[in-house]
Amino acid sequence: MLRKAAISCLALSLVAPAAARTRPRYGGTLRVETTGDPWSGFIRRLVFEGLTDVGADGNIHPGLATAWTAENGDHRWQFHLRQGIRFHDGTAVTSTAIAASLEASCKGNCPWTTMRALGSSIVFTSESPMPGLPALLSSDEFLIHDVNSGKPLAPGATSGSDGGSGSFQVSGVANGALTLAANEASWRGRPFIDVIEVRGHRAVSDQWMDLAASRADIVEVPAGEIRQAQQQHLAPVVSDPVDVLALEVSTSGALADLNLRSAIAWSIDRNVLASVIFQRQGQASAALLPQKVSGYAFLFQPQRDLNKAHELRGGLAAQSLSLAAPTSGAWQLAAQRIALNLREAGFSVQVVPGTATNADLALRSFPVAGADPAADLEQMLRASGEALPTIGRDSAAVYRTERDILDRRTLIPLLHLPRAYAASDRVRDFHLRFDGAPDIDDISLEAAP
Amino acid sequence: MSLRQKLLLLLSLTVAAAVASVAWTVLVRIRHVFDQRDQEETALFVAQFQREFQNQSAGVTDTLSRLAETDRARFVATEVTQSGDLAPYLNEARTMADAAHLDFLEMVGPTGDVISSAQWPARFGYPEPAAMSPKAASFLKREDLPDGTSALGLFFVTAIDGVNPPVWLIGGKKLDQGFLADLPVAPGMTVALYSDAPSTPVTNTAASNTSSSAPPPSAFDPPRLIGVDGVVPNAARYENLVLTALRNGQQSSSILYLTKRREDSISVTALPLKDESGKVLAVLTVAISRSSMVEAQQHIRAIAYGVASTGILLAIVFSLWIAARVSRPIEELARASEAVAAGNWEVSVPERGRDDLALLARSFNHMTAQLVSQRERLVQTERVAAWRELARRLAHELKNPLFPLQLTVENLARSRQLPQAEFDEVFEESTKTLGMEIANLKTIIGRFSDFSKMPRPQLEALDAAAAVERIRALYESACPPNVRLLTDVATEPMPLDADPEMLHRALSNLVLNAMDAMPDGGTVTVSARPVEDTIEIRVADTGAGLTPEECERLFTPYYTTKQHGTGLGLAIVQSVIADHAGTIAVDSRAGGGATFIISLPKASV
Repeated sequence: MLRKAAISCLALSLVAPAAARTRPRYGGTLRVETTGDPWSGFIRRLVFEGLTDVGADGNIHPGLATAWTAENGDHRWQFHLRQGIRFHDGTAVTSTAIAASLEASCKGNCPWTTMRALGSSIVFTSESPMPGLPALLSSDEFLIHDVNSGKPLAPGATSGSDGGSGSFQVSGVANGALTLAANEASWRGRPFIDVIEVRGHRAVSDQWMDLAASRADIVEVPAGEIRQAQQQHLAPVVSDPVDVLALEVSTSGALADLNLRSAIAWSIDRNVLASVIFQRQGQASAALLPQKVSGYAFLFQPQRDLNKAHELRGGLAAQSLSLAAPTSGAWQLAAQRIALNLREAGFSVQVVPGTATNADLALRSFPVAGADPAADLEQMLRASGEALPTIGRDSAAVYRTERDILDRRTLIPLLHLPRAYAASDRVRDFHLRFDGAPDIDDISLEAAP
Repeated sequence: MSLRQKLLLLLSLTVAAAVASVAWTVLVRIRHVFDQRDQEETALFVAQFQREFQNQSAGVTDTLSRLAETDRARFVATEVTQSGDLAPYLNEARTMADAAHLDFLEMVGPTGDVISSAQWPARFGYPEPAAMSPKAASFLKREDLPDGTSALGLFFVTAIDGVNPPVWLIGGKKLDQGFLADLPVAPGMTVALYSDAPSTPVTNTAASNTSSSAPPPSAFDPPRLIGVDGVVPNAARYENLVLTALRNGQQSSSILYLTKRREDSISVTALPLKDESGKVLAVLTVAISRSSMVEAQQHIRAIAYGVASTGILLAIVFSLWIAARVSRPIEELARASEAVAAGNWEVSVPERGRDDLALLARSFNHMTAQLVSQRERLVQTERVAAWRELARRLAHELKNPLFPLQLTVENLARSRQLPQAEFDEVFEESTKTLGMEIANLKTIIGRFSDFSKMPRPQLEALDAAAAVERIRALYESACPPNVRLLTDVATEPMPLDADPEMLHRALSNLVLNAMDAMPDGGTVTVSARPVEDTIEIRVADTGAGLTPEECERLFTPYYTTKQHGTGLGLAIVQSVIADHAGTIAVDSRAGGGATFIISLPKASV
């Protein structure tokens, strides 16, 4: 009996911590570091919400809108709003406020023809069908904010509201760190974490050092350095390929000739970019949409054909081309490699900083937000400034659309890259969303020992 | 120009020329010595610098050799050759280069393709031909860079130890400001590098070494001459030197003047840096400041100028002294000679020393003494002659009255035998004759007395015209009937400071003499006119004239051409004229009359 009791106590003592680990804990401060501005990327999505949202499966889920209906062959859309939602300053999130926010977001370049508040709903109409509107409204561009609120992040501002309604609200900015506090009234439910400190403009190596020294909880791992992070035992969490690394080609100036643009496309050795520079963490691809999203990416073979490039160039000696790219990291290396590839094909290419305007070529990344290929393609084209064709809902139509786009050689896909983050041991249930961003809502922190 | 001035000028010029030539010679010699020393020093510094450069080259060689022996290099080389996976080692070369402080480093596989590149990480997989031909020593190479430019570097190639097939390491240091800064240089020495780098990105050949495809040097681009502190100031002045080294491939030296100031000059040696094919890739300039040397030269020159100036000054002073010492006896002799010429024979000059000048002075003194002595003897002789003449004249003058006196006295004595009446007649006649002759004697004695008692003239302001007018008024009516008196007076004023009575007496004497000279009648002309600073008064007659002998002796006292003259008239006239600081001369020829010319100084108005 006594022996049974002792064994039972021992078993309980072993099981109790395991049971404690399975139960998320409320409270704590999550320290996030980023190379960019703290007020960008996934942090904004913690403060602001869209009418729709992309779920973990990549599909569109309700956000501030609970339901939506399409009429008249996708020419008219009506989004019914969630009731009782308030901005962080307590102001009600009304259809009027949402309409004003959407109008301010696209600033006259809206994908719809008209948009108006109708009761507790928003009605969009367009002269052309808008099959991807729900997905489009989930993008960062159309996050809802209170246009009448103050600007707490403005220089010198001491008060005001961030104008959002998300699960976190801005509580302050100090010493370059943005502080977010949990929104107790979030319709999604209160997050486990009380406070998020976001420190921006930190070099990747510094972030990793802070993570190793327990000064940070979530740090970035660029795609080209995932292998290095693994070697350093940072245990990065890697998403599926969600970023399309592409070469944006200007159709004006030296590359107005389609053959020259095609020669450029055939000159680039994508496989080397993927295997060496991006350390096998990316997928070489000649398709815009990743295979996981479109299902047909394999049809666009990323082969290099230098002879064909020479043939297409046909002795045309384009003047010295400029290739805009970030000045450091794998992207810079990729740009240099592309320049070397293009020199082999007879082009003279100069790599210039990414901030350079009017570059002939630019190395850009286009995010793949969801699992809807048509919507993703539409968002890519919108981001690149390309003309927006009407994209059908079926895969064949999307394929044809993508092929048409690629044939213009204004966007030359190179790689499909994942996103990766590394988290400290005190972060629990850390995983990435479909778009590769950390899912902060589900994160909780271990109690301090 | 006086003798002293000539001597001074001559001596000064001589000494100054001597000092200047010595100073110039010294300066030229000093400059030559300094230049020689500068060249030697420059050559020494350049040789030292070349040794340092070689040390740097050896440093690159050692660094690469050590890298090739490391386990890490061996591991990477082995892994890459076995797996062919370049991805893990993309930044390996950069890491190794940073650790070894190299600017360039590439690991090149057995096929000659780059495995990892520090300077151009994206260049993996592209060939690096230079790595396939290992060298025994470091070499220069122009390396293309990702930004489209190229950089000159000091490279070395070596195989990684223990890897087969061989994997190569090729790396080095960039020849740039940092490299120059690492080179130990002597104080005052500056080094710079002129790189003949292409300014535009290279096309078509990015995957291969393009160092030999650079265009030939043509124009000098000053901003490409880089020193430790950036672009070399006054880089344009290096143009000729650098281009010469670039084109000829030979070391060349020159002195460059950076500004107009001599101390801002540098002694520059241009060292061409060549690649293995002998092509000049860059020119290394080693400049040594000449400021300290020039300042030393200037200091010495200033001292030389000071010494020369002082020497010349002293030479002038010495020349003054010498000239004075040499010329003083001569000047004294000259002054004494002038005095002698002026009639003052009572002069003598000091006799200093025993040289030629002393002998000359002694001779001069002897000469003047002899002159004085002879003059005294002459005066004595003349005095004796004058006394004799006086005695003769006195005897002659006195003998004439004495003879009648003697006859009268003898006749009176004989008449004592005569009757009283006759005696009385004789006595009365004799007494009358005696009185007349005694009166004649008194007259003669009075004339001699007057001559001896010539008074000093009482000068008054007088116009010569008035004096002539006074003569005309006195003698015009008193002239013999066959003599005519004419006057010719200038119209302008002829002021004189003269004694009117004495001048009148002199002129009267001359007019009377002129009348006496024309017993057969004629014309006496008295004229007056100004001649420069004098007033010339002429008394001319138309008589028989005078012989040259007569003219010569005319003014000698007691000399006369008249039957009954005393010979004192013209002597008195000459005395009066002399007392008025004037002169009197006679112009006459036989049968042509005589003209006495009196010149008196014109009085100041």
